[in-house]
Amino acid sequence: MWFSKNKNKKASIPQSPLTSPAEESKQKVVIKLKTSLQQNIKTIQEALGKSSDIVTREIRIGKQGNIKAGILYTDGLTDTASLQNFILETLMLDLNEIDLQEKASPEQNLISVLKDVALTVGEIKEITSLEVIITSLLSGDTILLIDGYAQVLVISNKKWAERAVSEPTAQTVVRGPQEGFNENLRVNTALIRRRIKDPNLRIESKEIGVRTKTNIAIVYIQDIANEKIVEEVRLRLDRIDIDGVLEGGSLEALIQDSTYSPFPTILNSERPDVVASELLEGRIAIVVDGTPFVLVVPALFVQFFQSPEDYNQRTIIGSLVRFLRFIAFGISLLAPSVYIAITTFHQAMLPPSLLISLAAQREGVPFPAFIEVLIMEVTFEILREAGIRMPRSIGSAMSIVGAFVIGTAAVEAGLVSAMMVIVVSITAITSFVPASYEIAISVRIIRFVFIALAATFGIFGIVIGLIALVLHLCSLRSFGVPYMSPLAPFNVSDQKDTFIVFPIWKMTTRPHLIGKKNMVKQQDSASAKPAPPKK
Amino acid sequence: MKKYIFGLLFFSLFLSGCWDRRELNQLAIAVAFGFDKVDDEYLVSAQVVVPSEMSVNGGTGKSQVTLFTARGETVYEAFRKMTKESPRKIYPGHLQMLVIGEELAEEGIGKSLDVLSRDPEIRPDFYVVIAKESAATDILNVTTTIESVPANKMFKSLKVSEEAWAGTKSINLDELLTDLISEGKEAAVTGIRLIGDPKIGSSKQNVESIKPAATLQYDHLAVFKGDKLVGWLNENETVAYSYISNTVKSTARPISCPNEGVATIEVIKSKAEVKGDVKNGKPEININVQVKGNVGSVQCEINLNDLETIAELEKSFEKKGEENGKRTIESLQKNYNVDIFGFGEAIHRSNPKEWHKLKNNWDEEFSELTTNIKVDLTILRTGTTDRTFLEKVQE
Repeated sequence: MWFSKNKNKKASIPQSPLTSPAEESKQKVVIKLKTSLQQNIKTIQEALGKSSDIVTREIRIGKQGNIKAGILYTDGLTDTASLQNFILETLMLDLNEIDLQEKASPEQNLISVLKDVALTVGEIKEITSLEVIITSLLSGDTILLIDGYAQVLVISNKKWAERAVSEPTAQTVVRGPQEGFNENLRVNTALIRRRIKDPNLRIESKEIGVRTKTNIAIVYIQDIANEKIVEEVRLRLDRIDIDGVLEGGSLEALIQDSTYSPFPTILNSERPDVVASELLEGRIAIVVDGTPFVLVVPALFVQFFQSPEDYNQRTIIGSLVRFLRFIAFGISLLAPSVYIAITTFHQAMLPPSLLISLAAQREGVPFPAFIEVLIMEVTFEILREAGIRMPRSIGSAMSIVGAFVIGTAAVEAGLVSAMMVIVVSITAITSFVPASYEIAISVRIIRFVFIALAATFGIFGIVIGLIALVLHLCSLRSFGVPYMSPLAPFNVSDQKDTFIVFPIWKMTTRPHLIGKKNMVKQQDSASAKPAPPKK
Repeated sequence: MKKYIFGLLFFSLFLSGCWDRRELNQLAIAVAFGFDKVDDEYLVSAQVVVPSEMSVNGGTGKSQVTLFTARGETVYEAFRKMTKESPRKIYPGHLQMLVIGEELAEEGIGKSLDVLSRDPEIRPDFYVVIAKESAATDILNVTTTIESVPANKMFKSLKVSEEAWAGTKSINLDELLTDLISEGKEAAVTGIRLIGDPKIGSSKQNVESIKPAATLQYDHLAVFKGDKLVGWLNENETVAYSYISNTVKSTARPISCPNEGVATIEVIKSKAEVKGDVKNGKPEININVQVKGNVGSVQCEINLNDLETIAELEKSFEKKGEENGKRTIESLQKNYNVDIFGFGEAIHRSNPKEWHKLKNNWDEEFSELTTNIKVDLTILRTGTTDRTFLEKVQE
């Protein structure tokens, strides 16, 4: 039974002495502070390896300065103005005349007195654990140590350089709020809170990353969001055991349902209005500190085609644009493969004049259509990637070269046919029409599979590919919700916001599978319909 | 392991692909075929597009089509033999025209058409025409203006003239085959003629002059008995045939005015009803043609504001139409004994039982068939003026 032994060995590995740093920290005993000020400062400094950005200041407070105290903060993360005005000034000048020792009683030691009476700062905590103290210090809090006490005061006066709330760059709209999330978790939750002033809006905080200790917030509306999905989100976040999370994307990778699917199962948005409307539908937002992109779960396929503009525009226009996005998705997915299939297998499908015109363009092109498409598509992908990475100042030079190389010059050199340039251009343009960039990237990959299928089997191959694609999409789930709903499983009332956008007053219910707990959005569509007053 | 086996099976799928793959520049796109008979062999000619000359940039000024010919015991053999001459395999999927030489038509066209109805690449929606007084190869060897691909010219010309003039009758392979196998209807196919000098006609020079030295023109209607050409109908008879077979979309018809001079009626709608009947074992056909038209031109002194004048014009048109129809049917009954109108089918529809007795002897029955033709014109409009200005023109 060699294999079963092997299995046992494998299972025992986590318990071996070679533990990961993450596990090591868990097993650490909580180190408490001593009463000596000097010793305490030394302990903290040693724990931080005497980093140059940690500022230590020893002061004397009380009558005649008979009490030794120490202040520690991280330079650059702490608001030095408030440190001076409300901490140093209070302690060193205002308290000069008062005998603090006298005020302290057995029930209330000096530390508590300072906290309750003296320091005019909003958030303040008494802490004894060294680990917590260090985390707070590194997050930008100020630490106040008093000689003779084994507790410290952690005073919250964080402030660091950050980007202001500015216009979203990746998800723009013509009409709608021009406000986007930034890198600060609190600003981001505030932007959401400002839109939903419901007491049921819950913001739960968590820390992810053993080393980065990234703050994240789970945001949901308690009486709408499905409790099971919220619990699932908590579970998946708790399961994470990684040294660091620096961006929402890596968090997404850690909690998403299917890693190898080209389709995203978590929506991200940098628009507070989008996140707020998703919350109102019963979804759950995950705000990650340091990322201007907020994650939203569960995400459905059709959601990636919904833009906030659909609702800001008139309903007919919104519907047309929504429908256009689905068509563009189809074109972007299939245009090159259909072109290959028709020109190399099913020439009879073309009208005679078009066939002759295409044949005329292909005269002298040395490659088969398949290779031609690959050349063009790969060139385009490279150009697109280069366009994102390169310094902005050479952007215009690059676009000229790109347009010229993949357009005119390639055709004139007889490398590709003119029609192929049109096909690839249309593919490229349409791939940016869906409201979400994520779905555009996924199409990018699948397109190549379809090109290969079309080059080997023609339309037959494309149909096989489409069947496989639909099967795959239907097998996906996002936090337990079928990815293709409300199309599969089909739900009639959810169709009001799928391919066409119904008037707002007709959307009386929330998405069936997500807002199940509290389905009704507005009571009665008949009374909500705008109409002149009745006599 | 399972994964690898699955992957292997999946990729082996791709091995079965590509067998019918052809790039566009591996095709010789044939737009017209010509069938002739020469010394017991088929002479097949294919008019093939030269794509490089068709490009938007204008090409090099050479002819936009080329003609490949090959001889063979069967048409199919000849097609394949064509690769001796052509650098690419003939692709017949976009065939527009089939021209059949008069000689072959007289011998019978059936045998040569089998390949066209059998080959999966060929769509049977191309027009079939008969080369009158010439070989099909010669017809395909003429350059044309406006439409620089001669097959396109032939195709569009036939389509437009059928819709606007009614003196021609288009028939595609599908319809032709249906007519050939039908018991109560014989085939009739439009003829095409080469007018002018065929030598200059094949050169680019031909289309460089304003009036080309050689042109292609549709004329006459070939009448078939079985699959053999037996004779030709002239233009007037073709018009009558179009009316009766209900293919008139629009046409112009001169009629005589009540007093003297002529006027033209523009026909804008025509609907023919052919009803069969058997009386005392004798078949009888009643044709009722409902025509709607406008007064197209007036070259006589009449008052179009007068309803009676309109009625007279209508009567004049009806009389002329009825006479023409009667004459055409009689001529077919006497000269060729061929029922191209599908009167047999009409009888079959109305009296299926009687038809089974008549069908074996239908040609004789047809020649003695009683036909009643009635034309009914309704004039709708008279154009932008009522009285013609000719009245005021000083002599």
